[in-house]
Amino acid sequence: MLLNGTITGLIMGGILSLPVLGVAVIYGITGIPNFAIGIIGVFGGFLTWYFLSFNIGFAILIGVVACFAIGYIIQTVLLTPISERGGDSTLFFIITISLGFVFEGIIRSIFPRPNISLELPRIGTITIAGVTVEYFKVFALVFALGTLVAIRLLEEHTEIGKSWQATSQNLKLAKLVGIKTGRVFSIASGLGCALACVGAIFWGALYNLTLLSGWDLGFTGFIIAVVGGIGNIWGGIISAMIMGMVMSFSGYLLGGMWQSVILYFIVILVLIIAPKGILGSERSL
Amino acid sequence: MNDRYEKIITTLILFTPLLFAVKGGYLQEVSGYLYLFLIQGYVAWFLYFKCGQPFFGYSVTMAIGAYGTIILTVMAGWPLIGAMIISSFAASFVAVVIFLATIRARGFYVSMASFLLAILFPRLIEALRDITGGRSGLYFTGMSDFIDDKYIYVVVILLTAVIATAFFWLMETKTGKIFTLISENDRLTQAVGINTRNYKLLAYALAGFISGIGGAMYVNYTGFVSSVDIEVFTTVYIFFIPLIGGSRLFYGPILGALFVILIPELLVSIERYLRILYGLIFIIVIVFLPEGLAPYFRKFIRKIFVKLTS
Repeated sequence: MLLNGTITGLIMGGILSLPVLGVAVIYGITGIPNFAIGIIGVFGGFLTWYFLSFNIGFAILIGVVACFAIGYIIQTVLLTPISERGGDSTLFFIITISLGFVFEGIIRSIFPRPNISLELPRIGTITIAGVTVEYFKVFALVFALGTLVAIRLLEEHTEIGKSWQATSQNLKLAKLVGIKTGRVFSIASGLGCALACVGAIFWGALYNLTLLSGWDLGFTGFIIAVVGGIGNIWGGIISAMIMGMVMSFSGYLLGGMWQSVILYFIVILVLIIAPKGILGSERSL
Repeated sequence: MNDRYEKIITTLILFTPLLFAVKGGYLQEVSGYLYLFLIQGYVAWFLYFKCGQPFFGYSVTMAIGAYGTIILTVMAGWPLIGAMIISSFAASFVAVVIFLATIRARGFYVSMASFLLAILFPRLIEALRDITGGRSGLYFTGMSDFIDDKYIYVVVILLTAVIATAFFWLMETKTGKIFTLISENDRLTQAVGINTRNYKLLAYALAGFISGIGGAMYVNYTGFVSSVDIEVFTTVYIFFIPLIGGSRLFYGPILGALFVILIPELLVSIERYLRILYGLIFIIVIVFLPEGLAPYFRKFIRKIFVKLTS
């Protein structure tokens, strides 16, 4: 059970780390807590499901690109202007929840069956120390870790990555040296939503995608990011893995009903004991 | 219209639905439900907008009042009123604990702790479904064992009006003025020698208690509560009541409650698109009408008044 629980936890943590990365990228760069990214990601998951009969690659691309575009547009049209007017975190919390309502309504009105399962090819299975795991799940975990490394490399070694860092560290100075901070914010928001979409696609392939899983992914992504130190990408990943384990073992020991209760309880405790998360936040909320 | 007249008019408006008790029927049913949320709306108006405390656990304190009343009355055999009061104290206790636990944190972290509790609580209710009934909920006869449904409605209206009026009165007292001062500038209030911690503690305790009483009345009026009724979106809607209506004016929460609770009732036919409409309206009001609907409503009423008198 120990090994089985650990492997399940790692995979769950891997999938959850994608929306967590989304939250961390958006918050780390724009300073805006976006609670709508889960539901936007699930909207992308539904789009992928709709186009799945054409071609898998095309369907995934449509979902991810649509989410990137949505993230980019809402940041440009709505969130950046409010931020420039001096909106605080509570205001963004309310606005992004309202945005979540809009996308939940859009999913509800476009897709007649708001409970889907994405049938992606499962490739086969692998046996690790007597425990059989689907390759697809291992792929999900490797993909999540690969994405983290890719984002880190992007941040350290590319022009756009450096402008992200500059914008995150000192907005006024970044503007002064000619960085188009508005565009940086929009790309970060698009990237965050696209990551949430990939997370939703994996989630839909392994479990089910419903309207509720959109909120669940968003909230869970957010709280795991809080535990890791919101905006801190490494903290987010470590936290996702720990929380994946917590969910896996609490599911085994107490039953599925207690999974999220234990998860939220731990997060509230972390907020009380160490409000900046286990690795600290690069930004201060 | 100065504050005094506005308060009097608001109080009169609050009592108006008593007229529905005469005829009963749909209007009575809906307005009773609306008033149960208006109690919570006024709690949010008081705690967030007047005292500046970032609390998002209204559905939790309401649920503690509701479930506590049923459990103490039905399972422990307590008298109804005693159970309602003790449950409301329990709700107050939880609000205070959240405040004390997050005292080291600042700003948004405090909101997050209470918001996460609002997400956690229905799941806890679900996990404890052997006692709470989970999604299937608990049925409760409560006050209807002693009085007619019509009188329970009257109690709901009177209680809401009394609570709102008490809040108006409180904000006029010295304590209320200190609450306003804290919401305007916490540090400055501390600097002038006021122990802000104690005042905040009082605000949380009061808000938790009233929200608990509201929850206890909720189960007495509806006769049922389940984990669905206290979902995290309940807390969001409660928060939207003063936000949409307008927090500056006393009757703002009434407009907000009419909007948030009545719109889904009126637009049942387009239920599929309701969330889009809701979300868009919330965003538009927050972005373009930061003062809420109340000031525009006041202008509208003034125009009509001027036209009528001329």
